[in-house]
This record gives sequence, C-alpha cells and structure tokens, in this order.
Amino acid sequence: MKAARTTEVDDDLWSAIGDPTRRRMLDLLLIAGDATATTLSRQMPVTRQAVAKHLGVLDRVGLVRATPAGREKRYRVHDAQLARAAAQLASVGSAWDARLQRIKRIAEAIQRTQQN
Amino acid sequence: MEFGTIEREIYVEASPEIVFEVVSSPEHVRNWWPDDARYDPTPGSTGEIVFGDRDAGGTVVPFTVIDARAPRTFSFRWTQPAGQPAAPGNSLLVTFDLTPSGGGTLLKMTETGFREMGWEVAVLEQQYQEHATGWDFYLPRLVPYAASLRVRP
Repeated sequence: MKAARTTEVDDDLWSAIGDPTRRRMLDLLLIAGDATATTLSRQMPVTRQAVAKHLGVLDRVGLVRATPAGREKRYRVHDAQLARAAAQLASVGSAWDARLQRIKRIAEAIQRTQQN
Repeated sequence: MEFGTIEREIYVEASPEIVFEVVSSPEHVRNWWPDDARYDPTPGSTGEIVFGDRDAGGTVVPFTVIDARAPRTFSFRWTQPAGQPAAPGNSLLVTFDLTPSGGGTLLKMTETGFREMGWEVAVLEQQYQEHATGWDFYLPRLVPYAASLRVRP
C-alpha cells in the first residue's frame, strides 16, 4: 500500500515538472530566491491567475513552499523535493551506464574472437 | 534545468559493424537489456521486449524500430501504449550513433521523451535497474556465449 502511494505521488511530481511553464517558473524562483504570483507574472507571458494556478500545482507536490506575505503568498523552491526529482532521472542514467558496459563487453568479446 | 534527456558515450574496442549488431539485433539485445526481445531490426517494424517471465507476471513493453543504418545509426521507440503507433509524446526514443575511432567505435546513446512520458517510466526503469543488478553475477557466463556467436558462418 505504501509503495502504491509513493508511485502516485511520484506521478504527480513528474507531471508537475513536465510542464514547460512550470519549469520556467522553477527557474525564475531559483534565480530570485523567492517570488509571489504577481512578481512572477511580470516576468512571464501568462496572467497572474495562470501563474497562481501553476504555483498551486507545484505546491501540492511539494516542489515549492509558500509563506503568507500580506494578501499574497511568497513561494520558494523546496530543494529536497527538487533534488529527489533529479535523482530519479539520474537512476535511469545509471541503468544506461550498466547497459552500455554490457554492450562494450559483448562487442569486444566478439571482436577478439574474430581476430583469433 | 534539463530533465528530458539522457546522454552517454562509451568507447568500444570493436568495429562499428560488430557494435551495430550488438545494439540492434534482438538476440544480442536480450543479452544486455531485457529478458526477451522480439522484433525485426528494420525501420517501422514493431515488436516487444519483455522484462521478467512473460507467462508469470513479466512486463511486456512495445518496441518500434525507427532507424537502422548499419553501421552508423540504430534508433527505436519503446513504452508506447500497446496497440498505439509509437510517436513523440507517447514513448521514449533511444538512439545509438556509432563513429569509427582509432581501431574501435565511439558509441553514443541518447534517450529522450521523459518530459512527455512522465514519472511512471522512470519508476519502471528503476525497477528494472534493481532487477539488472543480477547481471554482474551472470556476466561471466555471457562473455563466452558472446564469443561463440561468430563461429557460425
């Protein structure tokens, strides 16, 4: 049950990152340190409402953390969760490293046999 | 930030012709990746690769050859939903580029499509990676097998 729940959360996390507008927002947040929907919308070709909606998605999967700032919320990137997303993709990379090592060994064994 | 593409390069002390065979033909592919591979290594051909035992809860994954130009390029798409044609947005694209270098081959692999495909594929890969650690154990058996392949005419 716990495993299924984790997978569910991971699906949401990935689709949150999968959207180019949200990735751009994460980039801007990383550069600025923190921002509100209003300040982010000034730097992007989308409305404040759209930015607020995207921030809500990022907040639900834990990629950003919100603190109250007057009538708005101020958002920061949650580094640990972002690192987790990156690590998941890195594990795919290391699976390919292992496959390529096997390709190398197989091909080199064939080459040696042909030369002998 | 780039979350979409994996790129790897490895030098292989074997001719591009041999490396091309190893990365493209199903009988070799099942020795470095899935437990079973069934497809015709020609462009447009669709088949499948299988992780685990097909008849005992194994995972059957669609596999479509995109490009096959010996001994330079082999590319395929995988993980598209069964019964759907493989296309950008529903599958991962793996490309092998082979370049002659010294007496051997520089093999470059790229896998793209993670942005479109989502998290479940990464999870599938991770599960496979756990499964694949067994390869270190089985590899000593594999090399003599690989060496015997070219004895045939």
